[in-house]
Amino acid sequence: MNIFQGNIRNIVGGVSNPFRSVIGNWSLFTMLLKRDLVNRTSGTVLGKIWPLAQPALQILGYWFVFGVIFSVRAEGRGENFLEYLLTGMVPWLCVAEVLSRSTTMFREFSPLYRRNPFPLEILPLLIMAIPCLVYGAAYFFLNLFMGGLDKALLSLIVMPLFMLWLLPLCLLFSVLGLFLKDFTQAVPFLLMITLFLTPILYFPSMLPEGIKQFIWINPFSDLMALVHGILQDTEFSWMNLVRPFLIWLLLLGPAWLFYKRSIPHIREVL
Amino acid sequence: MTDIAISLQGVSKYYKYYEKELDRVKEIMSGKPRFQKIEALKNINLEVGKGEVLGVIGRNGAGKSTLLKVLSDTILPSSGEISVNGRIAALLELGASFHPDMTGKENVYLSGAIKGMTKKDIDAIYEEILAFAEIGEFISRPVKTYSSGMFVRLAFSIATHIDPEILIIDEALSVGDGAFSRKSFDRIMDFKEAGKTILFCSHSMYQVEVLCDRVVWLEKGEVRKIGKPVDVITEYSNKMRMASPRKESLGTTIKGDESSENHEAAETPVKSTSVKAVPHILDIQVKVESNISKVHKVVSEVSDLEVTVLFGPGEGVPLASIAVALSGGDGRIISSAGSVQDAITLKINESGQGEARILFPKLPLLRGNYFLDVALLCEKGIHLYEAVRQAAEIHVEQNGLERGIVKLPHEWLS
Repeated sequence: MNIFQGNIRNIVGGVSNPFRSVIGNWSLFTMLLKRDLVNRTSGTVLGKIWPLAQPALQILGYWFVFGVIFSVRAEGRGENFLEYLLTGMVPWLCVAEVLSRSTTMFREFSPLYRRNPFPLEILPLLIMAIPCLVYGAAYFFLNLFMGGLDKALLSLIVMPLFMLWLLPLCLLFSVLGLFLKDFTQAVPFLLMITLFLTPILYFPSMLPEGIKQFIWINPFSDLMALVHGILQDTEFSWMNLVRPFLIWLLLLGPAWLFYKRSIPHIREVL
Repeated sequence: MTDIAISLQGVSKYYKYYEKELDRVKEIMSGKPRFQKIEALKNINLEVGKGEVLGVIGRNGAGKSTLLKVLSDTILPSSGEISVNGRIAALLELGASFHPDMTGKENVYLSGAIKGMTKKDIDAIYEEILAFAEIGEFISRPVKTYSSGMFVRLAFSIATHIDPEILIIDEALSVGDGAFSRKSFDRIMDFKEAGKTILFCSHSMYQVEVLCDRVVWLEKGEVRKIGKPVDVITEYSNKMRMASPRKESLGTTIKGDESSENHEAAETPVKSTSVKAVPHILDIQVKVESNISKVHKVVSEVSDLEVTVLFGPGEGVPLASIAVALSGGDGRIISSAGSVQDAITLKINESGQGEARILFPKLPLLRGNYFLDVALLCEKGIHLYEAVRQAAEIHVEQNGLERGIVKLPHEWLS
């Protein structure tokens, strides 16, 4: 019973503490956020175009390879592959950026907490905020163009929900990335494999029958099914919602506990 | 309303050493210890009163920096209770929590925000911070482009302008070069006079003794002694001398901002003719019987020793003071004389140089080798501008058979 209560407390703490810390340090948070945004474009010729141009170019590359060269088509469903690709790929790029950066988060911000007390709890939300804003804005206009205002408004909830779901992974990746250098090295590969194992670059219907049932082991498959279901009116089941939610619940408590226990180590290890 | 600014009850701190970083991760996951302890502080009990200036001394590795980090909440203690009553500003290892990509101005606001200040609060002191730091247009450039001096000046300016009730300074009383060093020193003296609590860690025993009301000597993470500066520093200095005899060479010059007993002093020629804004030693002449030299043979109770120090007076600062010390080969000061202590006001000579002349008539030192040290200090005799260690070497011969270091004036009563 105590373990159960402790886990509930950690789950609540995992969500509430980072947000509470951000609210309590709002001016600090916005200052760092602004700087993060400026850093993305400073010193470049195209300046503010880059935050949108970068994902657009990546998507163009994937579309060219999978849509043009491999000629991926939905068989008998009449879906537009480019629209399908864009709907899944933009949130994925956001996810990949957040997870990748979380592994180097503590090293990146070490000058801020090495010699002074600094609220380390704000960092996970800080590194999520910029991709969420940048990709969220691009996603809104993309869906406005592809599906109209209704879909565009619905798309606004996609990035924040993705980020909330990523919170436990971000907490874990940030600590593991600091203490285990091998983990940081492995993350790009893990992200690439996850991308290929998630129905983003292909339709789930294209998979062989024997494999189809296994794609749901990957929670990102469920999340993508939900995203496509909401924004492209494709079929999805409640299990697509229940499975990732359960995984999130199971991960969040231990991830927060892990993060909390790591804080004294983080302050001293650098 | 308590009169205690800082209270430590049984505070201990150990650092964790892991053979493999994976052990650290396993420990965080399981809660089962897998580390080797490196003890930095052991059961520290200490109270610092409001308005008190506490010096923290000790050898490298004694736990001084750890104590200050624990107090400034940069690291957590392993056990014990810490109570801090008032806003703290800390200058640890001469640094600040600067974001390297942010401009100086942004970092001012960032530092304030970390301290819980609002934008309005920081707006009110921003111009003062900027004026004090003297970094001009660099304030609009990223701090990663700053020189180390500019970085430190901005850090110091922020730390001392956010109106802390408690100021923690690790390793340097006065930071930066020349004029800024003096200015930062004055700023800290203002803090002291304003009745703020200061924790001051330094290897410069002279500055600790002058500035502090009380001194705590840390050794191997424990409080070895705490008390009046003169008592603690005397015992500490004796111990240090026995542990590591002096190894400096003749004419070693030390600038005020590097005045540390453990530092490796840069060896530079004593004689200097460069024009500087900060008071600086130009020349030291040591004369015995019309003979000016760096090495003298003198006869005890017969020879007169005359020392002339010429110094550049600097700009915009009161005329400096001079102190001269005679020490033995082990570095122990045998005797010293200071123009401030003797209430002597130095003068500028016709060449525009500051000049100090002192005579030790019929030098009463007994047989042995001695060294002459010279220090150029501020008008109050506290802030060190420059020191020349072993400016001259004195070989004393004697006619009699007395033993010891000095022949005290005495008379036989029967």
